[in-house]
This record gives sequence, structure tokens and C-alpha cells, in this order.
Amino acid sequence: MPLNETLARALEDIVGPSRLLRRPGELRAYESDGLPGYQARPSLAVFPGTRDEVIAVVRALAASHTSFVARGAGTGLSGGALADDVVLLGLHRLKRIISIDGDNARAVVEPGVVNATLSAAAAPYGLHYAPDPSSQTACTIGGNVAENAGGPHCLKYGVTLNHVLALTVILPDGEVVTLGNAEGELDGCDLLGAFIGSEGCFGVVLDATVHLEHTPASVRTLLADFASVDAAAHAVSAIIASGIVAAAMEMMDHAAIQVVEASIYAAGYPTDAAAILLIELDGATAGLDDDVARVAALCTAAGARGVRIATDAAERARLWQGRKKAFGAMGRISSHLVVQDAVVPRTRLPDVLARIHDIGARYRVNVCNVFHAGDGNLHPNIGYDANDADESARVHAAMTEIMQACIDAGGTITGEHGVGLDKLPYMEALFTPDTLGAMCALREVFDPEHRANPGKVVPVHSCREWHGAASARAPR
Amino acid sequence: MTGHTGSITAGVVNAVRDAHARRAPLRIAGGRSWMDAGRPCGGIEPLDVGALRGIVSYEPGDLTLTARAGTTLAEIAGVTAAEGQWLTMDPPGAAAGTLGATIATASAGPLATGFGTPRDHVLGCEFVSGRGEVVRAGGRVVKNVAGFDLVRLVTGAWGTLGALTEITVRLRALPEADVTLAVNVGGNSLAEIADAAWRWTRETEFRPLAAELLSPSLARRLVNEDDTLLLMRFGGNAGYIAAATSAVAALGDVRPMSADVWTGAARNDPDGAVVFRASTLPSRAGSLFARLSAFAESAGGCAQATVARGIVRCVLPIASTDVLPLLRAELAYHSASCTLVGEHLPADLWDIVDRARTTDGLAARVRAAFDPDGVMNPGILGAR
Repeated sequence: MPLNETLARALEDIVGPSRLLRRPGELRAYESDGLPGYQARPSLAVFPGTRDEVIAVVRALAASHTSFVARGAGTGLSGGALADDVVLLGLHRLKRIISIDGDNARAVVEPGVVNATLSAAAAPYGLHYAPDPSSQTACTIGGNVAENAGGPHCLKYGVTLNHVLALTVILPDGEVVTLGNAEGELDGCDLLGAFIGSEGCFGVVLDATVHLEHTPASVRTLLADFASVDAAAHAVSAIIASGIVAAAMEMMDHAAIQVVEASIYAAGYPTDAAAILLIELDGATAGLDDDVARVAALCTAAGARGVRIATDAAERARLWQGRKKAFGAMGRISSHLVVQDAVVPRTRLPDVLARIHDIGARYRVNVCNVFHAGDGNLHPNIGYDANDADESARVHAAMTEIMQACIDAGGTITGEHGVGLDKLPYMEALFTPDTLGAMCALREVFDPEHRANPGKVVPVHSCREWHGAASARAPR
Repeated sequence: MTGHTGSITAGVVNAVRDAHARRAPLRIAGGRSWMDAGRPCGGIEPLDVGALRGIVSYEPGDLTLTARAGTTLAEIAGVTAAEGQWLTMDPPGAAAGTLGATIATASAGPLATGFGTPRDHVLGCEFVSGRGEVVRAGGRVVKNVAGFDLVRLVTGAWGTLGALTEITVRLRALPEADVTLAVNVGGNSLAEIADAAWRWTRETEFRPLAAELLSPSLARRLVNEDDTLLLMRFGGNAGYIAAATSAVAALGDVRPMSADVWTGAARNDPDGAVVFRASTLPSRAGSLFARLSAFAESAGGCAQATVARGIVRCVLPIASTDVLPLLRAELAYHSASCTLVGEHLPADLWDIVDRARTTDGLAARVRAAFDPDGVMNPGILGAR
């Protein structure tokens, strides 16, 4: 019997026949994730429904030395969940919220719990899960852990790394370990921190203990309207320097505003603005309106044509909808959308945005910028038709130059989407060979056989000299 | 602005490669104020990184700062204060402590309540691995998920994976106002007092930057009051501070304090003292504080609880032989239900603090990958 057939039977015994997909037609739905233009067909797709089934599946894969890719909701934007002729391990059925401890502001969840579902479940305790990627109504906590996901409100509250207290994970060889500390302080080597953002290369999350934030007593949302991107960027700097910690500070440029306002997600943004800032302040009610007034004044001083303060929850929700659904709105005008992700030092925002504009013009592509300005986390987006070879090539060339511009400005190639497959070519521009070697060495510790999400994150040829010494692991 | 510590790092590289070749264990020595912190280290030859001093780059508009590992927290505080910013890390010890030691040990102080621990502040670092390679991890931007997170890996690894040479940290703008309050929390027992303090932080709409409960002898030393005392710190605008201050009054008598009290609290570990921390869920920390406060005070020491984080830190005078059995029994009692971390302990008590973890094998393999010959601070994390 061929290996694949033996493995398929073993996996079918664990999850049942309806939870194992093997025919090309069935697997088609799992050929893509959120990264456009890439397709990769898994050899098999297996969907365990319980923790014990996940453990049994990973051990069966280990026993047959089979490579696999873990997948949550498949919303990732860097190709991290693409499984090219390897087994796809789908975790979306593990969607149980195991416990919520309101007193200690924490929850224990299975990896397939949807981000927004957790916040909804925590709401009765006056709590919420703070990291809020734009895909939060679909993406899972397991995927968030794998990517170290962020979101607009990470400006004040921090990213996934800052909210995960402990993880139970199964390593690719089948060993189950607990990382972090669910009840006391973290001490010693921070393996939890190393695991978060490891993009499925270090193992599979079985459960996550996460910290929940208090739902703020009051929230204020401001919309500031600027005649130039530069003025908006300076307003961001001035607000940060003031000591007022905004919960979120998002920028959308003219092109992005046009797209949103022409869609069903129209939020009432000024369509003649060169840029808008969506700024949220939250916390205790006392003093909040003083901060709002100060932020509005700082915007005006930086050149804002107007500052609108949402008067009720409905208006706030509408302002945010335009931002959160901006990528969806872009789907209306083009068949494919590449959502880029890079971070630059905040003082470099004005000149990097100008360079991005020039690059877009030179390659005749329409770049929209919708991004986390407070963090310097850029999301240049380009809508295009992936079936048009010439346009695809121009988009690719423009994106490559944009990434190089961000690196040149002292930035990084991804702030929250991950390296996956998409950013692999930039890793060597960003890190020295010894640094990439150290990353490879760390991966070897977790996965000496390189079976978990193979070929992602660090270019394979970067892992040369470190190999021998790092894989000194006793056979189990 | 220089991007690389260059020749100074090269000196560390040469020293590590030499030790690696000779398999001669090294003890990383920076400011040398923490040399006897933690466990006895098997490293004999000091790897002097004291020359790694100075700020490499500071761009106030980015709120990030890059400094060599031996730069003192005091120097960083001075430079950043001039720009209305601060590094929100206040680990135990004097401000002469270095950034490198703070990150290597992941030491956190009261401000961790508001801002998190060192792992939440470090954006990038350069370190020399036990094999002598120069690794430059992370970056200088505030969000970064490029590649595997070597920055978190070395933060708190006590130099066992390599010697830190340069570190980039996130700064914050100083709040408009920064107030410290002392509160005599009402309650019939220590546990009730501690629980009330924790409950307040859990339920309030205000977010204290720090909330520390002091046992009576510590309160006496710091503010000359002979009673269990809650110290709180708030940052924000005048309206926020005023409202927070009146909200705290629900707990008991409140009065403002000089922020200097935090400096005194950080220096609460005389040479040779026994220092350990016990931590648990914040909801259970009230009874933990009650018990450890009574124990520490009866042994001539003191205790301090970080109420919102569920951590109790005990400082006892130099352990005399008659206190040791009691201390051993007390630690053994807590080892079943708490996380114990030793800061300074007599050699024969480490076995109680150490507990087997499912990650012991993984941690040993990580050390073997970065320091195959075990030359970097061997033994400083115990067998783990």
C-alpha cells in the first residue's frame, strides 16, 4: 500500500471518513488562503474535532514522517496556510471556549475559536480580547497565535504576544508541552514568546490561556480630515508626543477613501480629503473629553481641515466599518487584491508614503493606503487582475520596491501578517546570515525533521552551518 | 547614528570564541551589581561586557532607543526625560543597574502593572551566541513579526544563549501628570486588605501604572508608617488624576506621596538578603500575601505584593542557620500551589524552588543549539 494510502486510513480511523478529504475536487477549497495569486493543493486535508484527535493526528503524521500545515480560518495574508502537496491540518472545529475567569480576566480557549466570538463571550464579564485584526469575525485564536496578529487597537493594548499567558502545544514529533504560565509569572527562557508568531513551524496549539482587557468605561472616536498625507502624518507624531495614548490611530489615504465611499461600507468620509485619521480614545470617563479636545487641537494645529467627533455608538460603528471593511470594498473594483504589510519608524512615515506614491505611479498601479499610523504599520494595497500577466508583473515589481523602501527607512517587512511564503524573498535583505542561521537553529529544536509548515518563514538555503550542532536531540 | 556596536562587539565575539574553543565557562559581567543574583553560576572566567556602554541612537519622534547593553537605566532615564519620555522599566536595584542585565533577567518592578514586563518593551537586540556568532534579532520598529522571535527567546534567558551587546527598547511619552498615592486599606485581616486592593484594581475604570501592597516594616522604612500600606501610581491629565484619587478613597485614607518612594522600594534588597517571589492567580494572591507578610515580618524581613499581577516578593535578612529550616518549610508549602522564583537564595534551597516542567527538555535543547559547549553562564538557571 502506498504511504499516502496507509496514512489516509490511519487518519480516517482517528477523525472518521467525513473529516478526511482526499479527492482533488474536495481539496480545491483548501488550495488558497488570504494571499492572492497563489494556489497549492494539499495531499490530504484532515479536520480533527477534539484535542485528543489533534494529538492522535499529529502523532500519526510523526510516525510516518509526513509534513503538514496547520490552518485555522485560512484568512492569513502571507500564504502561511498554503499546503503544497503536504497534509493540511484544519483546526477550525476546535471552537470551544473552555473557561472564562472574570475575576482574573483570562480565558482558556481551543485554537479554532474565532477572535470576535471570544470578545462576545467575554463581554458579560466586562472584558474583551484586545487584539483585533480586520479579519476578526473570521480568524481564529490559533491562527492569531501563529501569526502574532495585531489590529488597530494594538497601539494601546499590544499584540497577541502581549495577551497570551500560556499555551498547551503539541510539537511536530508528538510531544505535548505547556509554554508560559497560566497562573503565575513567567520566568526563565521565554519559549512561549518564541512560539508566538512562529507561523505553524514550531507545533500546533491545543489550547491557549489569554488575558482579557477591561472593556473601557468610555470611548470617543474622532475623524480628522487632511489636505495632505504629510499633515496627517505630522498629526500622528504630535499626538504620540503629547503623552496621550490613543487606543487606535488609523490613516486612510485619498485612494482608499474613494474606494470605501463608493462601496456599501460608505462611512461618510470626506471624499476630497488627501488623508483621514480615525482616532480612538478610551478609558475612564473622567478626563477623557479633555484628551479628546487636546487631540482635536493637535490635529488642527497640524493642518486638519476639520475634526468630527462621533456623537453616538452608531456613528462610531459606521466610522469603524469603513476602516475595517476597506479591503472588502476593494474587492468591488478589482478581482484580486494584494494587501501588503510593513513597518517603518514613525518619523519616516511622510517620506515613505511619498515614495510609495511615486513607485505606484511609475508602475501604473493604483496603491491605496489603509494602515495603523500610530504604530508606523503600513498596509499599501494594490487591486489588480491576477489573470493579466503584465499587470501582475507590474504589481509584483511595485511591491518589491515598496518593501525595499521600507527596509531602507529602517523598517521591517511585516508587522502583523507574517512572512509565510510571500515575504521569504525579503528575509535576506533584512537579516544577516548568522541571524537567519539562529532562526533555523531554533526551528530545529522544535521541529528537527522540518515537517511543520515546511518551506515557510526562513529561506531553506539560509540554514547551513547551524544545522549540525543544533539538531543534537536524542531519538525518542 | 551608528547601526552597529562594531569593534566593541568584536571583542565579545573573540572572548566567546576563545572560551568556546577552550570549553572554558564564562560568567557574563556587566555592571556587576547583579553578580550574585540568581543561582550560583559555574562560569569562572568573567566575560567583561562593561565597556558596552552608551546610547547608540535615540529618535524621540519614534519613541525608540537603542543602547549598548551596559548602559545604565539612569543614563537612559536622563536622556529620555529631556524629551518628555521614559523607559517604563523599574526593576529591583538601583538605577545604576544596566539595560542588559534588566533584559537578560527579565526583571520587572511595580510599573509592570501598567506597562508589562521587559518582554513587552524590547524591540530588538544584538547578542553574541555561545558559538561566537553575532545575531541581530528584531528591529527598531514597534511592531515586527519578521522571522522567529529570537528577541523574546533571549529576554529572561539569563545570558545562557548568548551575551547581549545592544538593545532597542520602546519608550513612552511621560504622562501629563504622574501621581503616587498611599492608601491605608480598610479590612479585618491582611487577606481582606489584600483582596480589597486587588478587587479595586479589577473593577475600577482607572488603570493604575503601579499598585503595590507593602508589609508594615517596609512601609515603616519607606514612608515611616507602621501599617500595611497600598502604594498606587496613576498617569494622565488633571481630570483623570483627580477622579482616580477620589475613587481610591473608597479603599481607605488616601494621601499623595513623592514619587521618590518608588526609588526606595526598588532598593529594598540589602546585600546578602534572601529574596524570592511567589506568584499565583491575582484572585488568590490576598491570602498568599497575608501568609508571606506574616512569615517575613516574623523573620525580621518584609513583603511586597504586586496586587494586579498576583506576585508577592519577600526580602529576608541574611539567613541564619535557625531560620533556614523555617524558610525551607515555608517555600515547600508554597511550591505546591505557587510559582516560586528565587532572586537570592542560599545554595541548599534551590531544590525547592525548582520544579519540573514539561518544557525542560525543550529549554535544554534551545541552550544546546545556541551554546553547544555550555560556556555561557552555565548553571545560572539551575538544571533547567
